[in-house]
Amino acid sequence: MWPGKRPDPMMVQDFLQTAADRTPDKDVLIYGRNRVSYSRLLEAALSVAAWIDDLGLEPGFRGALLTDEPFEYLAAYFGVLIAGGTVVGLNTQTSDKSLLHTLQDSGAALLLANRKFSRHLHRVLPFAESVTAVAITGSREPIPGATSLCREDLAALLATTSGPGRILPYRSPCDLAQLIYTSGTTGQPKGVMLRHVNLVANTRSIIKYLHLTGQDRVMAVLPFFYSYGNSVMLTHIAAGGSLVVNQSFMYPNVILQQMVDHQVTGFSGVPSSYAILLNRSAIDSFSFPNLRYITQAGAAMSPALVHRLKKVFPGVDIYIMYGQTEASARLSFLDPSEAGKRPGSIGKAIPGVELRLLDRDGRPVASGETGEIVARGPNVMAGYWQRPEETRAVLTREGLWTGDLARRDEEGFLYIVSRKSDIIKSGSHRIGPREIEDTLTEHPAVHEVAVVGIPDDILDERIRACVVLKPGAQCTEKELLKHCRLELPAYKVPQEIVFLPQLPKTATGKVKKSELKTLEGIP
Amino acid sequence: MSEIVTTIRKFIFDNFLFDAAEDELGNDDSFLEQGIIDSTGVLELVEWLEETFNISVDDEELIPENLDSVNRLAAYVAGKTS
Repeated sequence: MWPGKRPDPMMVQDFLQTAADRTPDKDVLIYGRNRVSYSRLLEAALSVAAWIDDLGLEPGFRGALLTDEPFEYLAAYFGVLIAGGTVVGLNTQTSDKSLLHTLQDSGAALLLANRKFSRHLHRVLPFAESVTAVAITGSREPIPGATSLCREDLAALLATTSGPGRILPYRSPCDLAQLIYTSGTTGQPKGVMLRHVNLVANTRSIIKYLHLTGQDRVMAVLPFFYSYGNSVMLTHIAAGGSLVVNQSFMYPNVILQQMVDHQVTGFSGVPSSYAILLNRSAIDSFSFPNLRYITQAGAAMSPALVHRLKKVFPGVDIYIMYGQTEASARLSFLDPSEAGKRPGSIGKAIPGVELRLLDRDGRPVASGETGEIVARGPNVMAGYWQRPEETRAVLTREGLWTGDLARRDEEGFLYIVSRKSDIIKSGSHRIGPREIEDTLTEHPAVHEVAVVGIPDDILDERIRACVVLKPGAQCTEKELLKHCRLELPAYKVPQEIVFLPQLPKTATGKVKKSELKTLEGIP
Repeated sequence: MSEIVTTIRKFIFDNFLFDAAEDELGNDDSFLEQGIIDSTGVLELVEWLEETFNISVDDEELIPENLDSVNRLAAYVAGKTS
């Protein structure tokens, strides 16, 4: 469908085309009562691509996706890529403010969305000036305040076929495939620019060390808009396997039952997924004879949790992994044979990637000493979208400075010591404290505020906001939480608000966040 | 039963819906499908159920049939406390 078949997949969409050529009738998606074959997904993606092509957008346009319906998401994802665009997967746990920021920042020309987000869209689209076309499931109605938008029914697009022979624009493997928005310490989320070549290289490397084949069926619980979920999706499609999808994780017993019913061979989660499964499900009453591997990434998992996982999943390979959105997802993994022997280790670099530990001046540190993890490899991002200064701060001739401090033992295994940044890792989310601080500071009673992550058994970290009120001002925790709820996506709303007479600061006026984490010595 | 429904609705509005109008949540609406509660929210909900109604929620009972709407929750609580 696109010019010139290539012997090896070089573009992300080639993964789908190749698998659809080899096993057209095989299920790529299984969710709820739905099953979608590779050929059906490809047809739907081509239909989306044909619609986009008719819009006459510039190559490299950004196509934003706002849906948690798996077939819609994947068809739109591959449709945007086939049409020569860059995918911007939007977080479905969103607020009007976040949604508008991402649409404006990415300059999205196109939005493909599920109708359950219509209320958000009606409020936001009149202000999202770059958006020229919108496809929402089940509706072609004009949007008040944005009547000039080209409208299409996404459901109708997915149900039709584009017909053979359409020549779509040629794009190079060095062109951008995705912008994945990630939280930064400096405020609003920023777009990580990933080229086709970055994602293809990372996908191949992961397939290699996980030994994925077309026989694999993964239980996909992580949202696809999130880097780790995106990687689970791409690797299993590239391997020609199947995705059993349930991304809510609200009822873990339902997920466990699906794993049994669909004979899944793999499960990928973040530490909180495993904490919920181990602590709030009936996991002991299930058995998983087909399960071959489980993967964990997204944050450090305690050795105690790994130990419990080994007991619950006897004979299953447990892969502890480490990575960053800036590296397309994955940077290191601990071989399952080492999992019990090296508690706390994130293993070694994945195939094709080099990880060095450097000091502030870019010099390698000695074995056993702490340095920042600096990565080189074909998976490293092109930079942050339209943020040259922030890009220069992390991408240098040494490679990608991850902001994670680690040490290496004599056999080369890496151990994370701490993070340089204040990013809070809560569940599967990366949360920059600045955005929450800015939101709370907008409240008329608030003088200043500092937000920190504190350890949590389930979430890994929970959000604590330390608030100093203006002199004479009065305000309750509930009022502040309500303010946050109105302005922020739910996962960014603090779990805890602590009122303090003042914030502890250094001589230069910098807030001592470490003290706010423990609240020790604070009146 | 109607008292239980009122108590549950108040908890859901106070903790997950805030400023939403009363008619935005039907008693049979699925929390999951409406995106009202997420995986951590359900843990808060269970903790609240246990404390408020003095019941113990077994791990096996964490299923949509028991928890996924106001009416389902009310029926579940009524069954546990009868």
